[in-house]
Amino acid sequence: MKQIPKYFPLIPVFAAYFIMFFLAENMEGMWQLMSMLLFYCALGQAFNVFMGMTGYVDFGYVAFMGVGTYGMALSITRLVQYEFLGAWIILIGFGLAMVMSTLLSMAVGAVALRLRGAYFAIATIGVNEGFRFLIEGARIWNGSEGMIFTADLNKVLGRDTAAALCTYWADIMVLAIAALAAFVTLVYMRSKIGYALTALREDEDAAKVMGINVTKFKVIAFITSACLAGLLGATAWALKTPYVFPPEVFEIHYTIEAIIIVMLGGAGTLLGPVVGGLVYGISKYYLSIFLPGFQLLIFAPVILVIIVLFPEGIVGMLKAKTRGTGLERFIV
Amino acid sequence: MFFEQLGGNLIQGVVLGAVYGMATMGLSLIFGVLKVVNVGHGAFIMVGAFLTLVLFSSLGINPLIAIPVAFGVGMALGLVFYYTTIRKLIKAPELATLLATFSIGVLLEELVKLIFGSEFRGYNWPLGKIDLGITVLPMSKLYACIGSILIAVLLYVWFKKTRAGSAVRSVVEDSEGARVCGVNVGGAYALSFSLGIGLTVASGVLLTMFIPVGINPYMGGGYTLKAFVIAVLGGLSSPYGAFFGGLVFGLIENGSYTLFAYIPGVEPFALTRFLSFVILLVILLIRPTGILRAK
Repeated sequence: MKQIPKYFPLIPVFAAYFIMFFLAENMEGMWQLMSMLLFYCALGQAFNVFMGMTGYVDFGYVAFMGVGTYGMALSITRLVQYEFLGAWIILIGFGLAMVMSTLLSMAVGAVALRLRGAYFAIATIGVNEGFRFLIEGARIWNGSEGMIFTADLNKVLGRDTAAALCTYWADIMVLAIAALAAFVTLVYMRSKIGYALTALREDEDAAKVMGINVTKFKVIAFITSACLAGLLGATAWALKTPYVFPPEVFEIHYTIEAIIIVMLGGAGTLLGPVVGGLVYGISKYYLSIFLPGFQLLIFAPVILVIIVLFPEGIVGMLKAKTRGTGLERFIV
Repeated sequence: MFFEQLGGNLIQGVVLGAVYGMATMGLSLIFGVLKVVNVGHGAFIMVGAFLTLVLFSSLGINPLIAIPVAFGVGMALGLVFYYTTIRKLIKAPELATLLATFSIGVLLEELVKLIFGSEFRGYNWPLGKIDLGITVLPMSKLYACIGSILIAVLLYVWFKKTRAGSAVRSVVEDSEGARVCGVNVGGAYALSFSLGIGLTVASGVLLTMFIPVGINPYMGGGYTLKAFVIAVLGGLSSPYGAFFGGLVFGLIENGSYTLFAYIPGVEPFALTRFLSFVILLVILLIRPTGILRAK
């Protein structure tokens, strides 16, 4: 059999991203929808790295995005007084967002990744609430008042650049994160990590007996996924809307959306989160016009149906359909 | 002064803890029998709270009478969800039931929001108070506490003395062995699931007596987290363990609140919520079988 070129499956993913970007650039009034779709694709891709590949559900996932948002916010508000740093504080903010989400994922992972299945879910379900109440209760980082840093951004970048950052460049960065997440997913899939995680997802005990260090690979996937979430929080939340309030950034709603996107598209596939993100995002956008406030009421039973009848999701089914045809190498 | 305050809060903690314990028994029962974690647990508590609210404020029905009503509604809901989704997923990977119960929770929340809106509601059931010297206890809370203990005892008797109860216990011990001995395991699953949901919805009635204006479609999330802490304290698969876990948790919550209130510059309420999360992680790390179970 001919060797399948390694990065072929990225073509449909990047094509989808490029089309979204192209539509947003060239069509009037599309930017808002496209930026939302890109956010959902990126969220799905980042969440999929851990949940899709390992089969573990992290119900506290949004905590990593929240911490990333705080990383960016802290960098901007605390470093704005050092004028020589200038616009570099945004780059430092990305670094801080990654460091903080990695640290939190290590702390959570140290406990939760020792546990299996149901116990893992129980350990993670309180992470976002727990962290939110720590911030509010101990009044760290301004406690429940949160931080607003529009003025700081204006001071560092000037009013026009800051406005461009919020309305344009933040979305471009979300696009970059979505692409990065897709790339990382494929690299993992095609390396030892992916094979180990597949074995672990199918049967953890058997994988262990075969000599796979399951804990190591779970930790790698968990931290990667958390780190991408931190970056996403720093761009889509901190830079796009320059304020941070604990109840908003630790809202479990976003974990629900991530689960819907990944299950809809197909857990553990590369293209799945993109398809799921597009289907969810477009339906949410139009539902919010025609039936505002109903999207979860509609999606909760949809997810139930998917879990019971089509657990592989849209791309999983597509994969089964295209097996043996020329399309096989594009859909992974 | 400090000890009086602490003592008073601990009494309140025991009263609330008994209700917490009862609110967790359904979760532990379902996990013990079906090995399914009901991630939508809190949403069922919320359903019970709304039932109480509707029965009390529009029909003038006493919340104590709402308990059996809620229990019946819960049993029915449990049967519906068991036969439509859970039964098909029992053999699937754990991911499936986790996501399914989670989606059921979201579905219930959104349905209730559709009907009642998302603002906070409450009702007032004036029954007077009793003065214990160091603290004042409203009668409604006392009734809730007594009601919880009664339900726990009833469940205990049902488990020990009836045929169905023994069947369920045998499935907890060893479902394959039970099947070999002629126990209808599928029936025991359905019964335990609907019983667990029934208990949870009924506990929602009792919990409303502690939250004067806290009834809201999204109130369940906090209770899900607390119920997990309590269930893990009690060993996760034992309903009685859960009941005593609830008492311990009520004491810890109210005791730590008193202590946190003495630290300047913090918000004690938020810190107790954080503490419950830390307790959960610590117990899962050191004694996943629960602190109440003998080695």
